[in-house]
Amino acid sequence: MPTVSVKWQKELYPGVEIDTTQPPYVFKCQLYDLTGVPPERQKIMVKGGILKDDTDWSKLGIKEGQKLMMVGTADEIVKAPEKGPVFMEDLPEEEQVVAVGHSAGLFNLGNTCYMNSTMQCLHSVPELKSALIEYPQSGRSNDLDQSSHLLTVATRDLFSELDKNVKPVAPMQFWMVLRKKYPQFGQLHNGSYMQQDAEECWTQILYTLSQALRSPSTSSNVDTVKELFGIDLVSRVHCAESGEESREAETIYALKCHISHEVNHLHEGLKHGLKSELEKASPSLGRSAVYLKDSRINGLPKYLTIQFVRFFWKRESNQKAKILRKVDYPLELDIFDLCSDDLCKKLETPRQMLREEDGRKAGLKLKQKGSASGDSDVKMSEAEGLSNESEESSKATLGEGASSAKNAQLTGVYDLVAVLTHKGRSADSGHYVAWVKQENGKWVQFDDDNPIPQREEDITKLSGGGDWHMAYICMYKARTIPM
Amino acid sequence: MDPEPTNNNNTASASGNPKDESNLKPPSKDPKKKDDKKDEDLSEEDLALKQQLELYVERAQDADQGLQKVALESMRQEIRTSTSSMTSVPKPLKFLRPHYGTLKAYYDTMPDSDLKKLLADILSVLALTMSAEGDRESLKYRLLGSEGDIGSWGHEYVRNLAGEIAQEYSKRVNEEANVDDLIELVEQIVAFHMKHNAEPEAVDLLMEVEFLDLLVKHVDKTNYKRTCLYLTSSARYLPGPDDMSVLDIAYTIYKKFEEFPSALQIALYLDNMQHVKEIFTSCPDLLRKKQFCYILARQGLSFELDEEMCADDEDREALQEIINNTKLSEGYLTLARDIEVMEPKSPEDIYKAHLLDGRASAGASVDSARQNLAATFVNAFVNAGFGQDKLMTVTSEASSGGSSNWLFKNKDHGKASAAASLGMIDLWDVDTGLAQLDKYFHSNDNHVIAGALLGVGIVNCGIKNDCDPALALLADYLDKEDSFVRIGAITGLGFAYAGTQNEQIRDKLTPILGDPKAPLDVIAFTAIALGLVYVGSCNEEVAQAIIFALMDRSESDLGEPLTRLLPLGLGLLYLGKQDSVEATAEVSKTFNEKIRKYCDMTLMSCAYAGTGNVLKVQHFLGQCAQHFEKGETFQGPAVLGIAMVAMAEELGLDMAIRSLEHLLQYGEQNIRKAVPLALGLLCISNPKVHVMDTLSRLSHDADTEVAMAAVISLGLIGAGTNNARIAGMLRNLSSYYYKEANLLFCVRIAQGFVHMGKGLMTLAPYHSERFLLSPTALAGLVVLLHASLDMKAIILGKYHYVLYFVVLAMQPRMLLTVDENLKPLSVPVRVGQAVDVVGQAGRPKTITGFQTHSTPVLLAAGDRAELATEKYLPLSPILEGFVILKENPDYREEA
Repeated sequence: MPTVSVKWQKELYPGVEIDTTQPPYVFKCQLYDLTGVPPERQKIMVKGGILKDDTDWSKLGIKEGQKLMMVGTADEIVKAPEKGPVFMEDLPEEEQVVAVGHSAGLFNLGNTCYMNSTMQCLHSVPELKSALIEYPQSGRSNDLDQSSHLLTVATRDLFSELDKNVKPVAPMQFWMVLRKKYPQFGQLHNGSYMQQDAEECWTQILYTLSQALRSPSTSSNVDTVKELFGIDLVSRVHCAESGEESREAETIYALKCHISHEVNHLHEGLKHGLKSELEKASPSLGRSAVYLKDSRINGLPKYLTIQFVRFFWKRESNQKAKILRKVDYPLELDIFDLCSDDLCKKLETPRQMLREEDGRKAGLKLKQKGSASGDSDVKMSEAEGLSNESEESSKATLGEGASSAKNAQLTGVYDLVAVLTHKGRSADSGHYVAWVKQENGKWVQFDDDNPIPQREEDITKLSGGGDWHMAYICMYKARTIPM
Repeated sequence: MDPEPTNNNNTASASGNPKDESNLKPPSKDPKKKDDKKDEDLSEEDLALKQQLELYVERAQDADQGLQKVALESMRQEIRTSTSSMTSVPKPLKFLRPHYGTLKAYYDTMPDSDLKKLLADILSVLALTMSAEGDRESLKYRLLGSEGDIGSWGHEYVRNLAGEIAQEYSKRVNEEANVDDLIELVEQIVAFHMKHNAEPEAVDLLMEVEFLDLLVKHVDKTNYKRTCLYLTSSARYLPGPDDMSVLDIAYTIYKKFEEFPSALQIALYLDNMQHVKEIFTSCPDLLRKKQFCYILARQGLSFELDEEMCADDEDREALQEIINNTKLSEGYLTLARDIEVMEPKSPEDIYKAHLLDGRASAGASVDSARQNLAATFVNAFVNAGFGQDKLMTVTSEASSGGSSNWLFKNKDHGKASAAASLGMIDLWDVDTGLAQLDKYFHSNDNHVIAGALLGVGIVNCGIKNDCDPALALLADYLDKEDSFVRIGAITGLGFAYAGTQNEQIRDKLTPILGDPKAPLDVIAFTAIALGLVYVGSCNEEVAQAIIFALMDRSESDLGEPLTRLLPLGLGLLYLGKQDSVEATAEVSKTFNEKIRKYCDMTLMSCAYAGTGNVLKVQHFLGQCAQHFEKGETFQGPAVLGIAMVAMAEELGLDMAIRSLEHLLQYGEQNIRKAVPLALGLLCISNPKVHVMDTLSRLSHDADTEVAMAAVISLGLIGAGTNNARIAGMLRNLSSYYYKEANLLFCVRIAQGFVHMGKGLMTLAPYHSERFLLSPTALAGLVVLLHASLDMKAIILGKYHYVLYFVVLAMQPRMLLTVDENLKPLSVPVRVGQAVDVVGQAGRPKTITGFQTHSTPVLLAAGDRAELATEKYLPLSPILEGFVILKENPDYREEA
């Protein structure tokens, strides 16, 4: 009976006797006692392979003192989980959207980047989307012309396409209908469609939508577009010469930011834009005189659209030339001082509440910091609190926006949600791109069919002053406070 | 190659020329100007010397023999004493110039006598400056002269003579004339050179006259190291069989002076097992033998010791254990513990997505099979050899809370790679690895079993075990129905027995090649496995089997991407064996047209891999210069071939990098996509900045295949270095390509490579100060690169486990010093950039910009280490890998 040593994992069992008259199974049982590995899972290395239960010992020529190696564990055998994981690659395309974290891009159909970027910006307004879903396919009211109806339907379809897909969408139908409604977009130059002004496209589409969505067939007989984008202005028209004064009220869809030599910041530009001079016949003087028009905001929208007046008609070159001046704009805009006194009064309470809430958040942070670290670096925690607050509040507003709480109160504070930029030297050339903040708070640059994630700090770098993309239209979303 | 000797001035004066008036003269002005001037312009002393010499010349032609003799002797005296200056023509020589013709004419009229020989000596020296180019008069008169001490005329004379001998020799060989008299002279010159620290000159002269054997007689303890260094480094630049004979001489010299480790290295370079045996038998010291075993183990050689080499059974077992690499894992973990990197890392720790805010993909809710597979590989590479990780080895209880077993987070064939990754994590630790893998053998999922089989191979890679567990475990699965399981077992055997030339494996695998029912992928991987096992063996039988398998393939099979592995398997058999490939290359010319060229390129590139053969590089460049319609694939291996051949030495390597730049400019797509891979091979684990920049540029290439290859190569050049710059580049690429699943996968793999073994590994097949090439390591890399030539079909398809072929090249880049009982011993060492000291006199510094560490330490590419203490003596001159230290008996502790 030879004795062998058996190596199992890191251990060595010396002096194991082999009874060569018994089948190897007996030997395995011996090892079972030593190692706890069941015989059927033992693999013992011998010359020419693994020791089988019915091998004849004598044929193996086991020598006295030979070292054998045994492999095997008593571990539980791994089983596949009953429900395997679901892989993204197996999902249908619609469900992959969630995973990607942003909606699809739009193919350029030949100089249609102005349209693509406009649609991407408008697509980011959930209220507009829900209003469009309610828009009936067939029920066209009488005061709406056929082409406007078709354009509205096409917009609705395009929006839902964008939500469904991961891969870029070709807005063929929409493009056709848009050209039909507004033939100026179908201008040809050298056999291809011309580049157009995105602002014009934006205005026209919004106008059409406001027409269509106002129709009495919708349940609530209100102007959805006006509610979302309309800015009420009250103006005082004053003539210095005659001392005449009159008041006017109007509703516009976009504030204009005028760019002159003094304007370095959006706020200054907006102030400029609200003041204008006009010449008109003065009834008291009997001739035309210069009137000063001083407008103030009297009613705030949910989405504040601001257009940078970057293009002016240059007669010598016969094109819309561009002002490259750098005009900074903030991620958070407060337009309180542009409001009329009435509105200011109305805003006071909500603003107070907003401040309190901010203060509370910051204070809480301060306290936590203080207790945690012992000596708190006030500046640091303040800064942290601030950044935190803006994040959280933006989240809060987003949530509320989606539920469209009626009792939410506007505060006059706005957060940037979309930027439409232009790159190039004139409105009818160059390239338009949309930069849109997604629901998860991340920014995505929609360069036609190519969505590229961007960092927030890069968004504020689109303020112009070079040949990089510069903001042309900015869309801000109101920060509200529940009452 | 012949470096300018800077020390001649010193040695000349040291050789004992007595100083004399002529040396004390005011420094001579520009000699050219002076030549034109009249006698009046000479200083008084010069004038006196000149007249003196003229007198000698006159007297030398005197009829009176006594007078003649006196004149010639004094002339000789004048010349000898003035040859010490090297900056200008010595004055006596100059003044004698006009009389050279006269003396020559007189010489011819002289009767044979001692005096004639004396004159011949003088003429021989005068010819140094006088004789026309190509006349070799100096040599002529030397041979006619008195054969006295050659060094007495100074170094310049000897050097001139050596040059003339070389010319004369080649002329005589052409004419098949007798060269005995020359050889006699050569012997004198060599003796002179060797005595005066001019070993390179001596070696050069002997190489010219093809009589290197003479060297062995003249080397001594003081100069043999420098001589051998010069020999070994010049061997790289010599054409075939010369380089071998040069190395043979170096081997003989090393052995003569009992510098066995160096001799062993040369024996390994020559791949001469007879020499290796000789070293073992001629070295009596057991400890030194152990060091030899470490060197053999690093080369990845399987070598059986017999009783002749080590008489004692127990000792032999201990030695064999070292060769079998059983302690590699232990040493590696010692290093890891010392550097404190034992903590397992997860793929997220490598991706560092938090540094890319706003850019990281948001979708964490759904698993992507592709990304999970990438994570599996990254996890395997990063934690390779550590035995613990955060995905595979965590206990099921711990992981059951959040997610189920990571294995099942992989899809289908991904599970194979996941199971095999366990082998990578337990790399080199056979006992633990097999225990961990065991449970997967009982799975009912064929992919898992295939992975477990592959894992067994990976664990055993480079390790030999007496019980042959890999063969025992894998053999049963070789003829299973499922081709996945079969490939797993076949490839596993290839890994475990790479370079062993194990006949059992051959008997088991060759029948598969001939099996008409076996699917193509099984056959392809069998060919590769056989190529690995018999790498560089030129084994006829295996070659035949693969050739027949190639011939049997149908037309449609030949178009498949995997078919390329068959010629590669064939090529591996001849890796680095140069001419031996000829016969097989001839046979390959009869193959189907579709594969013929591809096969030819692959065979040539493998056969000349690591030789630095410039002609072959040119041949491959020529192949790449041709422009074809789409569909030609053979240029890919040709581009890789440039890298494989040129990687041998630094100079050729730099030239190859430049040539590849040109290919990038002018080549077609199938060339361009191979260029990054070639760059990756040239600079493997050696992140040169300019190559990094080139690859970074290519990683944004408009062609995805080029970009993918560039990304993978970025990983290869940074493999195991943790290079921050490459890591940053890859991180940015991961956000740049976040939407393109294929490219993102490549980026992840590259990230895994860069952080391989948490920065403790290297993939470089060259080791021992870039002298030796490990054939198995190179073979593994070449398989990976060939597979990367068709990324989409192989690595991005269902054969992603070819990535595990890098395991063959993975080695810890460490210096671990051990004491006489082979226990780790910490000593201070200086680590710095290696300096080339070939041909430099004295004892120049071998490293620069060094830092002092205590062992174990990491060595980067191009680093060299030296002991910073006198207390111990290393048993190997090259401090890499395992080095045994012996206490220095002469060491005195400083008070």
